[in-house]
Amino acid sequence: MQDRDSGSCWFTIIKMEKEYIIELKNVVKRFPVGDGLFTALNQIDLRFEKGEFSGLVGPSGSGKTTLLNIIGSLDSPTEGNALVLGKDISKLTHKESALLRNHHIGFIFQVVNLLPVYTIFENVEFALLLQKYTASERKKAVMEALEWVGLEKIADKKPDKLSGGEGQRVAIARAMVKRPEILLADEPTANLDAANAHAILQTMVKLNQELNTTFIFSTHDEKVMKYLNRIIHLRDGKVESDDLIKSKENVPGT
Amino acid sequence: MFLALKLAFRNLIGAGLRTWLNAIVLSFAFVMIIFFNGFLDGWKHQAVNDSIEWEFGDGQLIHKKYDPYDPFSFQDSHDKIPDTSRFLSPVLVRQATIYPNNRMVSVVMKGISPDQSIVKIPVEFLKNTKVDFPVIIGKRMAKSNKLKKGDQMLLRWRDKNGTFDAANITVVEVFDNDIASVDNGQLWMDINKLWQITGLDRHATYLVAGNHYLPEKYNNWTFKSQEELLEFLLEIIGMEKISSSILYMLLLAIALLAIFDTQVLSIFRRQKEIGTYIAMGMTRFKVMILFTVEGAMYSFFAMILGTLYGIPLFRYFTRIGLSIPEASQNAGVTVADVIYPIYTLKLILTTILIIIISATLVSFIPARKISKMDPVAALKGKLQ
Repeated sequence: MQDRDSGSCWFTIIKMEKEYIIELKNVVKRFPVGDGLFTALNQIDLRFEKGEFSGLVGPSGSGKTTLLNIIGSLDSPTEGNALVLGKDISKLTHKESALLRNHHIGFIFQVVNLLPVYTIFENVEFALLLQKYTASERKKAVMEALEWVGLEKIADKKPDKLSGGEGQRVAIARAMVKRPEILLADEPTANLDAANAHAILQTMVKLNQELNTTFIFSTHDEKVMKYLNRIIHLRDGKVESDDLIKSKENVPGT
Repeated sequence: MFLALKLAFRNLIGAGLRTWLNAIVLSFAFVMIIFFNGFLDGWKHQAVNDSIEWEFGDGQLIHKKYDPYDPFSFQDSHDKIPDTSRFLSPVLVRQATIYPNNRMVSVVMKGISPDQSIVKIPVEFLKNTKVDFPVIIGKRMAKSNKLKKGDQMLLRWRDKNGTFDAANITVVEVFDNDIASVDNGQLWMDINKLWQITGLDRHATYLVAGNHYLPEKYNNWTFKSQEELLEFLLEIIGMEKISSSILYMLLLAIALLAIFDTQVLSIFRRQKEIGTYIAMGMTRFKVMILFTVEGAMYSFFAMILGTLYGIPLFRYFTRIGLSIPEASQNAGVTVADVIYPIYTLKLILTTILIIIISATLVSFIPARKISKMDPVAALKGKLQ
């Protein structure tokens, strides 16, 4: 699957490159550890099309989260290029990175990281506050996002009143409310029971299909893998395999 | 900025007791600074007014040799009253000794015209009496020498030739006042009588100027304006303000330290929150502004709290005043029995401004750390 676009036809290349919203070219990421350097990612070459429902799979320390952070412009590669929506992550200023995240990238974390002093509505609304929406536009968008995850009736509650599954659904709504092109989910089901994990994954599949958002997961959860249409196995910072599993239509819950 | 204000407000309200504890400490600094400055302003206002009304008038034409703090200068510091001295009330100063209750007390005799109306010394008591040698004294003088109205005692003085003479004097009035320099050790009498007993006819040590006096130049006399005469008093009050400001600074430092501590802790405790803000697209600069505004907002909360209990407190003291201990009144500085604090808009606005700026600064210092924060480490809560 790696370099699967390297076709010979000039027209095809142009056409396909337009479809890729994420391109990672020879990405290397090293972190200082003690006196030396630890290579978290080594020569990663990956491309993601719009609307993909993909997963980075691998054991702890394989580089999944590091890769997600680079794609999310929270981090930048030590070597190589990471192009997200045509923008080279390494060359972005802090402000440009923030703008990219604010308008085009949504995050879902393993720990939901909801802001405790805000209500669910306000947590979801937060991303829109950074953009120039009117109050009524924000309200409409937030309620719609909460409807996607089935939490519109408890919009006024504080996060501490939610169960783990509900909290993760709020996190999905918060990530999706601005309708980003890319949604990065770092172990989103790690703290959830099977029923909640499936419910959340089905919500994500639905959103992926309705909004054509590109989902990239970092996971080693079997439950998640069942839903993915592309699984990229990482080991020791390298791509071990990149497999197209099934078409979207066959994803459970669709 | 509006977003930062809105978020900061929500965050502080959400933080609950921690916010209010900081705000209470800061509001205490607020109220104390305004209270003490209002007290000092009230003292200054009262002292300046009283000094003008009782002693300085619109300035004084003073004999060049006269030094009110050097009793040895009294002997020679007098001269004929200038002929063209309109709107001036002469005062002749001489040293003397009184013998109240079988004790010997050095005093300063001050002769003043019984018809003058420039200063508030109650001279009418000196002319509306049948007593042979009437004198009036202030309440401090009366208290320190255990004298009262109607008391008689021996007065001994030296005339212009240095010859000792003595007579019995009668205290015809003990007047209430707040000016130690017209009271402590002072014996006020009719200047005509003083001229007569000393042989210094139409001599004066200084002349108090009235409203319409236009300063002229005379040999041996120097004119000191009201401002020049008040300089010493204002210097003392100014020094008092400086020493009081040490107290305010300590109070403010404690309050600001509490905010600083909270902000430093916040940045570590709320790492994941900061990481989330950045992940959601807030720039580090905006997050830094948010935390700075949060710190600055403590001063707004403190202002609200301070207003709640400060205004009734200020109003109460403005109405009943603050009683000043007697020891302070006898210290030689003009201090009333009761000082009514004055809380001016300038004082309140300046205090608010100082506190807001200080709170913003102490919040900004830890918040700067956010600009160097790695969002990935922040999201994991791994920053040390």
